[in-house]
Amino acid sequence: MAVPEKPAPLAAVESAKTSESGAQTLTVSVGPQHSGSGHMRLIIELDGDIIVDAAPDPGYVHRGIEKICEVRNIIKSIPVIERPAIIDSSNLNHAYIKAIEELQGVEPPPRGKYLRCLLNEMNRIMSHLYWLSIYGVFLGHTTMFMWPLGDRELFIDLAERLTGARITHSYIVPGGVRRDLPQGLAEEAAKRTEYFEKRLDEYDKIFFNNPLFTSRSKGVGVLPKNQAIALGCTGPTLRGSGVDADLRKDEPYAAYSELDFEVPTRNEGDSYSRAVIRMDEMRESCKLIRQIVKEIPPGPIRRKAPIVVPRGEAYSRVESARGECSFYMIGEGGDKPYRVRYITGSYRNMAAIPVLLIGGHMADMPTAWWSVDYWPVEADR
Amino acid sequence: MSHSQTREDGLIRKIKEQFPNDVKEARVIRRSRPEIVVVPEKIREVALFLRDQLGFDHANGVSGVDYNREGRFEIVYHTSSLQNKEMRDLVLAVKESIPRTSPKVTSLTSVWPGVEYFERETFEMFGITFEGHPRLEKLFLTDNWDGPPPLRKEVRFPTD
Repeated sequence: MAVPEKPAPLAAVESAKTSESGAQTLTVSVGPQHSGSGHMRLIIELDGDIIVDAAPDPGYVHRGIEKICEVRNIIKSIPVIERPAIIDSSNLNHAYIKAIEELQGVEPPPRGKYLRCLLNEMNRIMSHLYWLSIYGVFLGHTTMFMWPLGDRELFIDLAERLTGARITHSYIVPGGVRRDLPQGLAEEAAKRTEYFEKRLDEYDKIFFNNPLFTSRSKGVGVLPKNQAIALGCTGPTLRGSGVDADLRKDEPYAAYSELDFEVPTRNEGDSYSRAVIRMDEMRESCKLIRQIVKEIPPGPIRRKAPIVVPRGEAYSRVESARGECSFYMIGEGGDKPYRVRYITGSYRNMAAIPVLLIGGHMADMPTAWWSVDYWPVEADR
Repeated sequence: MSHSQTREDGLIRKIKEQFPNDVKEARVIRRSRPEIVVVPEKIREVALFLRDQLGFDHANGVSGVDYNREGRFEIVYHTSSLQNKEMRDLVLAVKESIPRTSPKVTSLTSVWPGVEYFERETFEMFGITFEGHPRLEKLFLTDNWDGPPPLRKEVRFPTD
């Protein structure tokens, strides 16, 4: 009987080669067409279904924002600064404005600081919910795709009433914020966060305590503490490996020093712990939102700030949903900065992706990879 | 404020004592933002001292800056400490300056593995070679990019 011809390789399979040990390995491209959310490619080498090598290949959504900032007036750069992570736009915006304010020596009034924190926390919840919905769909859990995206509207509506825009708010400006708290928003925010906290308990029941999820995520994609520190990881990825680093506590900015909240940490370093930390962070953010609308001081929301970047250097950073977002800004006295260095949480956590994947099964790749919440656009900038 | 300043001054003093000739400048630019300028030949020794003796275990980023009017590039390593909890707000900038005509420096991937991607980006965006880097290839630019390193100042932005 004739031996059937070898089937043609799948389009995704790039090449087959033999490793030194004699085992045949396959190099597989995951992406770049929306391998998760946003365009990026993971080049994975497989021995059977075990990942022996993995390398991220970013750059498909690179916009050259650092160059754009050098040729634009500081105010005109605000919308483009927000674009890399539209689901977490105000945190990125905050870091940028903080760098300008550091150079100018301007400090926003207390009410402006509280309003910044309010939108930052709403954005943190919005971003974590978006992440969770993609995680649900990655693991084939359709309900966990629908629920978070639906509940995200609770906060999008609030943010729209506060800023006038659903996602890219451009709310934080040098010297303060653009708009004051609208009438009735404080009560509505308190009501919605209370409702949302009950929803989070339901998420726990249907997803986080569900063996379908726990059996696929516990012990998968382990990032040891020493590696997380050495690789420069940040945000929930770092806290999931047992480091209680959070810039809101370590280097309090805006009104965070006056607010009471916890920094959730877990020691396991696996995909499950990174996921649960984001759930706990959303609970903390709900508490923060209620505190902010209750304790917000009266007064002006914005101070006059010149449209100029004074000569000098500044390094500012905030805790965004994916970790530290930092701006290194050099001014030379004009209305444009001489150099803007923009480093985001996703960019820093990219170094952890190979560590999580190598040695694991290909079938565990989505669980391990998406637990980092790597947002390609935010990493490419 | 004064307490914070003492801490940063103490840190700078320790570095200067260890490397009296290799640290050319040291100053505190703002609260919890000290910076040192190191001669490029000794950057690895200084980095190892910072990591092993002073606890700077975490690399926050690497930035290239093109001072074309002065004919030099500056490479800035921002580093912080996670193991010392009371030092977590501190970000130390370690700077080195190299002539634009021979853009070559020592890679610090062996000191802080986290700088691997940042150095690759600085390589492609400024054309600065990092010697000892395990994989000095393009990161964000397309593989067939044949233009000049785009973040250099002589590259004009299309609408500028």
